[in-house]
Amino acid sequence: MQTLYLDYSKCIGCGTCESVCKFVHTHPRIIMTRTPDGWWVPLYCQHCQNPKCMKACTNKAIYRDPDTGAVLLKQELCAECPTKNCLMACPYVAMICTGARKAPITKCNLCLDRGGLGPACAPMCPCDALMLVDHEDLDKVKTPEAQKAYELVRQHIICPECPTS
Amino acid sequence: MDFTFLCSGKPEPNGRKVAIIGAGPSGLSATGYLACAGYKVEVYDKLPKPGGLMVFGIPGHRISPENIARGAEKLEKEFGVEFKLRTKICGSEPMHEETGDDMAYTYKSLGGRVEDNDAVLICTGTWKSRRMEVPGHELPGVYSGLEFLFPVRAASYEIANMDVPEIKGKKVVVIGAGFTAVDVVHAALTEGASRVSLVYRRSREEAPCGSMEFNMLEKQGAVCMEHSAPLEIVGTDRVEGVRFAPCVMSEPDEAGKCRLTVQKEESFVMEADIVVTAVGEMGTPPFAHDLGLDNVRKGDVKWLQMTSLDSVFVAGDVLMGPSKIGKAVYSGLKAAKSLDEWLTLKDQGRLDEFQDEVIRREDLR
Ligand SMILES: Cc1cc2nc3c(=O)[nH]c(=O)nc-3n(C[C@H](O)[C@H](O)[C@H](O)COP(=O)(O)OP(=O)(O)OC[C@H]3O[C@@H](n4cnc5c(N)ncnc54)[C@H](O)[C@@H]3O)c2cc1C
Ligand code: SF4
Repeated sequence: MQTLYLDYSKCIGCGTCESVCKFVHTHPRIIMTRTPDGWWVPLYCQHCQNPKCMKACTNKAIYRDPDTGAVLLKQELCAECPTKNCLMACPYVAMICTGARKAPITKCNLCLDRGGLGPACAPMCPCDALMLVDHEDLDKVKTPEAQKAYELVRQHIICPECPTS
Repeated sequence: MDFTFLCSGKPEPNGRKVAIIGAGPSGLSATGYLACAGYKVEVYDKLPKPGGLMVFGIPGHRISPENIARGAEKLEKEFGVEFKLRTKICGSEPMHEETGDDMAYTYKSLGGRVEDNDAVLICTGTWKSRRMEVPGHELPGVYSGLEFLFPVRAASYEIANMDVPEIKGKKVVVIGAGFTAVDVVHAALTEGASRVSLVYRRSREEAPCGSMEFNMLEKQGAVCMEHSAPLEIVGTDRVEGVRFAPCVMSEPDEAGKCRLTVQKEESFVMEADIVVTAVGEMGTPPFAHDLGLDNVRKGDVKWLQMTSLDSVFVAGDVLMGPSKIGKAVYSGLKAAKSLDEWLTLKDQGRLDEFQDEVIRREDLR
């Protein structure tokens, strides 16, 4: 049960993760966002234990990979519905509408299509802020500073009232 | 930073050789791509360590230099990349003084690199500082952002024949509101300046670095002054102060536009021992005239990110102007891919087939 974890207290907002993701996948799935007071932060999929996107999709196009626990999108099942329920449901703004005519919805797949190389963004982060971790180990890597910075990001960008699980 | 994120180990050599000039984020990312594709890569940099501005510009508490060093070491030890440090690559133009030039021991020509390699990629960043065009800007004690920061960062390597500004106990005035200005204020505070003021023409809400940075700098002891424009730098033998005038936004005109007007009659002098004008750097490609960089920017070239010299490619801030690490990384990766495709098609004698392929707008971003 793995997920990507970003320590927002170490992140300097340089956008390398987004760039690398874009280079590998054409449409980036980790996206830089700017808060009203000028702070640049990436938003990304947390591969939640209880994913809201999965529940919102009536076509069952979003599923959990049994081997890794990654939350994945099955392109063939995505009906490209006009309401885009998954986009609305995700509290982390991590379901992406690319605007492409074919397959307009995309999401992070932990780079499972890279032949075992793992997420491309994490090793390139100049601040060692991004990592691939097991859900069970999340508490070990979350420092008080990281948690504080994360709360700030949530207040600024991610709907603070929305429950996350 | 693991620049070889595209492969799991050193591949079979493909018999091709490239030279990368500049070991900043764009050059190192391209190196990783090409090393993963089997190229023999040589990386030239005028500085004693790889990393470019990530090591010699951005403060160590934001990016740990060890993190970059580890990435470069992997390239060298595991992928056989050759780093030729303290080596400046020069073109035909007269030597111009760029920041960091004093650290180079060896000078080599761009022409030589082109002859010795299948292709060359120029990733030399923006190391020539733009000075603000106000009277007095040439007075001693006036620095550009990089001129001020570089010696502070490089002092741990060597300080002989380097103009390290004496900061302790001095009054420092910083003009600008970008990330460089913020780092200068930070460095001045850390080095023990007696007073550090950050001055910006507009309000903090309009600052490129964002209002949060202003608020944080104030907490750390800096004085932030908004709505003030510099008129001149005053002093006889060296800088003694800066004359500022208030800047006000006019009411919207008929077209709904607000104008920034400088109220010269209300000008005042702020005392200063050091003035840093952090208003941006410029690109520094060796061989600037022959590369036709404007055409590369517009996509008016034979091949994506190839300069007007055959087999010479370009990437990073030297092409785009000062940006961010992410943008430089993307540019480096894209140039490396383009270079690889070009050489492959050239080897197959198939370049003509693709010569007329239009470079799309989105490819240039
Ligand atoms: C003070 C400061 C703070 C910054 N803070 C941030 C930040 O917080 N986040 C962010 O994303 N970006 C930041 N940036 C911007 C970022 O550092 C740059 O956009 C990025 O480093 C550009 O990468 P590059 O590879 O194009 O060039 P550079 O990093 O400039 O690397 C170019 C390299 O080429 C070498 N070189 C140049 N000419 C020659 C030559 N003739 N021969 C041999 N070698 C040569 C140089 O020594 C250098 O190592 C900051 C910049 C500055 C100045
Ligand atoms: S690469 Fe790392 S430091 Fe840069 S924006 Fe992404 S997470 Fe933040």
